[in-house]
Amino acid sequence: MVFLRSEEHLERWLAANGWEPGSSMSATKLNALARAWWWSRLDPDWRPRPPAESQTILDGLGLTGAFWQLA
Amino acid sequence: MDELDLRIRNHVYASFVRDGVAPTPEVAAAALGSDAKWVEDAYRRLHDAHALVLQPDGTEIRMLNPFSAVETSYHVEAGGRSWFANCAWDALGIPAALHADGRIDSACPDCGEQLELEVQDGELVRGHGLLVHFVVPAHRWWEDIAFT
Repeated sequence: MVFLRSEEHLERWLAANGWEPGSSMSATKLNALARAWWWSRLDPDWRPRPPAESQTILDGLGLTGAFWQLA
Repeated sequence: MDELDLRIRNHVYASFVRDGVAPTPEVAAAALGSDAKWVEDAYRRLHDAHALVLQPDGTEIRMLNPFSAVETSYHVEAGGRSWFANCAWDALGIPAALHADGRIDSACPDCGEQLELEVQDGELVRGHGLLVHFVVPAHRWWEDIAFT
């Protein structure tokens, strides 16, 4: 996952590497995802998060469709 | 993941956040009063469980997501320390995991221009206009986590 300046930079970067477009979002949305995903990572009693809970985080941010299915 | 592996995982993360260095199996074993070979095997099990990421063909830690144990192009200042992240998502994940404000320095992979983001009280206050792109679909993230 990378930060890019704009759509124009994204298109050029994908073309230069010969990659198909994946999925884009704003940095603001990624910050919301990062907070939901990583918030408890350093809890002393951390335990692995069940995949269904991870999928719920993605769904809750509107990250749905085949691209965002974890399994 | 059994309780002992979980204890080792949580010790490794706490050590990294405290010291800024990922402990070797020998160092972790000494701290935990355990056997180095046993901890080394636990590192491999934790890697297989995606609870940490080892360097290929070794027991040296490469990633404690969202933290990177090696230098990357995602530099993060948060919690009064400097860190490296593995990717854009992890870069924003470090302030989140530390429950701290943070500043991120990275670069656009197209043009190389420096990109700066800042998080205050959980909100992105600098870098709103930037775009994030995921090349790899979610079900394939762990096929090659370094590329992802």
